[in-house]
Amino acid sequence: MMQSSPLNLRRAIILIGRLFLGATFIYAGYSKILHPTFLLHPWIALKFAVTANLANFASEVETFQVLSASGSAFVAHTLPFFEVVLGFLLLIGWRVRIWLVAASLLLVGFLSVLTRAFLLHLDIKNCGCFATPEPLTGMTLVRDGLFVAVALLCTYCAVIEARKPHPWSAPSNF
Amino acid sequence: MSWQRIRAGVIGIGLLTAGAYLSLGDGSALASPVPPQTFNLQDVDLHQTRGSKTAPIVMETFSDFQCPSCKVLYVSTFQKLNDNYVSTGKVFSIHRDFPLPMHAYSRIAARYARAAAQLGKFEQVEQVLFQNQEKWEKSGDVDGTVASVLTPALMTKVRALVNNPSVDAAIEKDIALGKTYNVNQTPTTVIHYKGQTYPVIGVVGYDVLRPFLDQLLSSK
Repeated sequence: MMQSSPLNLRRAIILIGRLFLGATFIYAGYSKILHPTFLLHPWIALKFAVTANLANFASEVETFQVLSASGSAFVAHTLPFFEVVLGFLLLIGWRVRIWLVAASLLLVGFLSVLTRAFLLHLDIKNCGCFATPEPLTGMTLVRDGLFVAVALLCTYCAVIEARKPHPWSAPSNF
Repeated sequence: MSWQRIRAGVIGIGLLTAGAYLSLGDGSALASPVPPQTFNLQDVDLHQTRGSKTAPIVMETFSDFQCPSCKVLYVSTFQKLNDNYVSTGKVFSIHRDFPLPMHAYSRIAARYARAAAQLGKFEQVEQVLFQNQEKWEKSGDVDGTVASVLTPALMTKVRALVNNPSVDAAIEKDIALGKTYNVNQTPTTVIHYKGQTYPVIGVVGYDVLRPFLDQLLSSK
């Protein structure tokens, strides 16, 4: 069987894509947990800041009118931490196919919610995407569309690559 | 070279990339917290304050009357805070004007509120401006909104004060103070306790704020 090169185009796409997505997810999660109120010390201030930031994020999620208040609170208190973990898993490249699929699904979900809000002309003053308050505009959709495209391309490449033998694996007749 | 070593290298590159992204991606996101400052109560205009100057906690709120989040903070948090912490002598609350240029009428609203404050009517004017925010921000009728809670005689005095340069100078002073705290959005509440400064950005619910204040008050 013909072996692929260790650094072919698909692998390069996966590597660059997962580093980009990983860093983006970590930044997105970090900014929801520690911003806008950034207090690290003492412990009670950190606890207060994280609680206040997540409560703020919950109210931003609620403005999309997709989930109930309790559903929005649940998402706000779990999603940022999931984003950070997902980002690290993409950076280290462990079980990359699984996490690329997860990232793609998450990003498609985000894009769907944002598109729905945009089409319904909902008054979204802060999309809650990153640390800086950002109203929902067409540019937000374009940017998120690019994230989705990168994630889907990486997932596709990862699935194709997984079907091939590793370039440095032992030959099948070894 | 083993696969593990390549992977370790990739991890290193990834972490470096993440670090660079976090550092360079958004400067404001990583703005350092405000250093502890000595809070000087002598500079405070007592017309725009609530509570006792000797309260252990001082809260300065940089607010814009046309900002919807400031209204939410006022309605959902500060009214309960006043009842349970300000009136009981635990918190000294200071209103700071921080009218944002993006809001067409916030500066004039701040002028009216400050003029009314000089006549001891700040609380009434603050309340009517926030509660009718949606109306006057569309019509621009700040004067009529304020007039609805003041007597004609007081309103005449307020109108005379609104265009006084000292009113604008006081607003500019608040804005300049806000910039020393790195305030760039409203509402921003700066909590002072025992020489420490805790800037809180955006709306913070009473249920979130209460435990923090209690912990501060119980800390040694």
